[in-house]
Amino acid sequence: MQLPLFEYHRPASLDEALATLGTAGSSLAVLGGGTDLLINLKLRLERPRALLSVRELPELAGVSVDAAGTLRIGAGERLTDLATHPLLVARYPGLAQAIRAVGSRHVRNMATLGGNLCLPTRCWYTNQSEGWRGSQLPCWKTEGQVCHVIKTASNCRAIHSADSVPALIALDARLLLRSSQGERELPLADFYRDDGIENNVLAPGELVIAVLVPPARLRSVFVKAAARTGLDYGYATLAGALGGSNRAPKSLLLVAGSVGTMPMVLHQSARIILADGLTEASIEAAADAARDDLGEVTNLFTPPGYKKRLVRGLVRRVLNELRRQKLPAAD
Amino acid sequence: MASRKADLAVVGRDQPRLDGAHKLTGRSLFTDDVVLPGMLHAKIVRSPHARARILSIDTSAALALPGVKAVITHADAPKLYVGIEQPLFRQEIVNYIGDEVAAVAALDEATAAEAAALIKVEYEPLPALFTIQDATRPDAFLIHAKAKGNIAWQQAQDLGDVEQGFAGSAHVRTDTYTTNASHNCYAEFHVAIADWSLPDKLSMYTPTQTAILFQKSLAGALRLSDGQVRIMNLNTGGGFTGRTSVRPHHDVAAVLSRKTGRPVKVRATADEEFIACRAGGEVKYTFRTGVSDTGQIKAFEADITFDTGAYVESQMIVLTLTSSYIHSLYKIEASRYSGRLVHTNNIPYYFHHGGGLAQMAFGLGQHMDALARELGMDPIDFHLQNGVTKGHTSMTGTFFGSCGLAECIRKTAKQAGWKRKYGKLPPLKGIGIGVGAMASGAKGVFKHDTSAAFIKIVDDGSMSLFVGLPDMGQSSHTAMAMIAAEVLGAQATDITVISGDTDIVPLDVGALIQRGTFNTGNAVKAAALDARKQLEVLAAARLGVKPSQLVFRDRQVYPKGQPDKAIPLKKIVYDTLHSREGRFVMGRGFYNSPKESGTMAYSFGAQIAEVTIDPDTGFVTVDRIVASHDVGRAINPRIVEGQIDGQVFSGLSQVLYEQTLLENGQVMNPSRLDYRLPRSYEMPKVEHIIVESIDPFGPFGAKEVGEGPIVCTLPAVANAVANALGEPVNEMPITPWKILQILGRRAKARAGS
Repeated sequence: MQLPLFEYHRPASLDEALATLGTAGSSLAVLGGGTDLLINLKLRLERPRALLSVRELPELAGVSVDAAGTLRIGAGERLTDLATHPLLVARYPGLAQAIRAVGSRHVRNMATLGGNLCLPTRCWYTNQSEGWRGSQLPCWKTEGQVCHVIKTASNCRAIHSADSVPALIALDARLLLRSSQGERELPLADFYRDDGIENNVLAPGELVIAVLVPPARLRSVFVKAAARTGLDYGYATLAGALGGSNRAPKSLLLVAGSVGTMPMVLHQSARIILADGLTEASIEAAADAARDDLGEVTNLFTPPGYKKRLVRGLVRRVLNELRRQKLPAAD
Repeated sequence: MASRKADLAVVGRDQPRLDGAHKLTGRSLFTDDVVLPGMLHAKIVRSPHARARILSIDTSAALALPGVKAVITHADAPKLYVGIEQPLFRQEIVNYIGDEVAAVAALDEATAAEAAALIKVEYEPLPALFTIQDATRPDAFLIHAKAKGNIAWQQAQDLGDVEQGFAGSAHVRTDTYTTNASHNCYAEFHVAIADWSLPDKLSMYTPTQTAILFQKSLAGALRLSDGQVRIMNLNTGGGFTGRTSVRPHHDVAAVLSRKTGRPVKVRATADEEFIACRAGGEVKYTFRTGVSDTGQIKAFEADITFDTGAYVESQMIVLTLTSSYIHSLYKIEASRYSGRLVHTNNIPYYFHHGGGLAQMAFGLGQHMDALARELGMDPIDFHLQNGVTKGHTSMTGTFFGSCGLAECIRKTAKQAGWKRKYGKLPPLKGIGIGVGAMASGAKGVFKHDTSAAFIKIVDDGSMSLFVGLPDMGQSSHTAMAMIAAEVLGAQATDITVISGDTDIVPLDVGALIQRGTFNTGNAVKAAALDARKQLEVLAAARLGVKPSQLVFRDRQVYPKGQPDKAIPLKKIVYDTLHSREGRFVMGRGFYNSPKESGTMAYSFGAQIAEVTIDPDTGFVTVDRIVASHDVGRAINPRIVEGQIDGQVFSGLSQVLYEQTLLENGQVMNPSRLDYRLPRSYEMPKVEHIIVESIDPFGPFGAKEVGEGPIVCTLPAVANAVANALGEPVNEMPITPWKILQILGRRAKARAGS
């Protein structure tokens, strides 16, 4: 498979990038590391006239903590660098685990955090060659009126499988977006939409600038169940971040990924732990409750029943690991 | 000829692959590396429908595209068949997603792809059949009119009195198993370059396990004589039984080359690879075995149904191979086999490893294990009691001149700590054994099973060995050089192996039925002996001894027991040529099994697998494999271990990972990302035990190691999983979802009781 022809823009500054982005509209695709986009171009899933490379923009680089303790990670940061970043490894172990879980080392050497946050949903009816797709009736993603995954669905049910996202949502992260018109911030959890095509609320002309993680001392864990560790998309992933002690937890967010069209927050499981603390019995109860919190689980790549059973097992595993983990040291 | 280990200078010692450095540095040539002057590139237009009527084909837009040199359809090759019933291009009805409809040749691959998309084919979609069950319903339509009941081929055989055998059995057990479609996943994709620019000679570069079969079937299909077809197989990037016959893309390249008068290359894209490889084929097995009170097999019955997909090409052989397998492993007094190939509108089936035997071993090995458990017998005792032994002659007429089965089982069990572990492991840990046998070549493809070899020795002592046996990664060329070097007292590195061109090399049936080491090895040994005889004349005269007293070793020739009198080998060679006689040393030899049919030797193996099941995810980790294999004699022990490793990998991969997922005839996972092969990270520690039974007919006692180990891996891993779970999984692959389902059901049952 070969790449189609496209124009290539490599702006020198963020302002120049936003100006180009603002005028080009949908005929332009933002290129981070290209690990997903270039494959989709080969599959003719996207047909942009031009690519805008943002990977080298200095404004998208850097990992820093401000005076208030907020962590800022530039969207252009390479995943390999983040996975081994001492600050992330020490203070946000769940996030470092999640980033290390993305693709293979080769992929992480190229891929950026911003690219992972904006990773298009995936589906085996669409992420195939153009010739392969010729055997299928068009679906929502290919300008049809049907979802092959869930026949009754009124929109695209492709799977969201960006591994960094559940880990960041569990940390209550916020997203910094900018366009030539200005800047805005929103919780990462609110960035995603339950639609496989319009999967996020990024407005035309907007670019992901950075991720902001609010100050808090949390224990955090990320686990990914994949056939081949360090290569595959997950069958399911689970991130958890816990504030307080095992006996008296103050905060807990559990977020499942790779199970549906957007990340799913497991409220019921978290509530059980917040009420009872982390005990063997509460962990079992929280694992059992996970099923109720899961929204529509997709039957892509594995049977849906398996994903539900799997999330139960992953909740148990994440909570047990949180229970054992030491609270990261303060500065 | 020396055959005691101490007398061998080359054979039996670790010899790095002769082409190892070339492989590692990317210098080994494969078909896709070949660029011929004026070469065009082709793309195939394939049916997007599992079954449809072709209403019209409009090639005008494609032909009008600049750079396009030719478009071909059924009209260009109306009488050209691939195999026995598949026309190269469909005229009326397409029968599976991927069925060839047209092809185009252009100056470059991108233009060819663009042109292929411009060929407009109008179809009327028709109902299609996707399962064995649907295809064999009495009211099912016929995919091919002459295949009544959609049965493409069937075979049945009774040996001995089966009814009496079952009647006289104290226990009878029946099990059914299913294996799903899988894909050979060659390192090298399907590719062919044809040059038929002159009418009386077709030259083709392509990876193959058997140039002779390609030559014959291309010649037959294209109405040429065999000698007019030249097959050049450079290195072959993997075979696994899948590269034994001509596929449509070979004919496409030939026909386009004839039409354009230029060489034409066609190569598969990543997802086309699953079609070209014929990665279809669900198989259903029913095994029934009757045993005495003491566990002696009295009767065995196998009923096997293959989803053979849209076309039969040479799949019939799978019925022959699976029908006789049981007799190569156990002493059987009565057996019945019934097997059939059923047409569906899926991708045609082709076997993956060992001619369908590896897949079958998944079920057969579990069946025998279950039978032993039912009798309260340790499976090891069961295999030892029923396994074939040296000197046994089977009902199918095979004489076992060597047999290390019992030794393999005992040594493997001891090293694995079987007695300490079997039945005593904690929950979710399991241990299982698999045993197997495999033929070292067999008659059946032709009346002969001949391999031939030439060897020439030039006056600096270096040698060229000409063989038709391809090296597809199994290091066969290194083994052949070692055999010749042993006979001639040379080193393997003194020898250049010339192969891969039917205009140059002598006949060889090829690298299939695990016949390379045994048959070509015997041929090479004969050729080397012939060359040695020519050198002995001068050497014997110089040393004043009889030729039979000469020792050729370490690049020297000397009288037996008198190495101090040695003359350098190359001096003997030099003086033989630079003499009044002027003899240029050329040895020739061939080997053909003296039997009317069947196999001269079987190899045997036993493997024990240990696994751990993760109750949260259902994942199975293979912790350890102890693998023994009776290779007769290990020509190159390190490569024997490598062959075992490769098959352990592929075997556990088939049991736990691989499946061509088909939905309405379409492959859902046609990529190496979604069709999951494990990597080195998923590989367990493999402990090798090489058993040497020294076969009386093999070269230096050697037998095969080509597919023997894998038929042990599949049942060993499956039995270990059953042992860990407390119940077997009768469908391959054993997926995490099946495991979690079983664990969930068992937990519920426990809670309920």
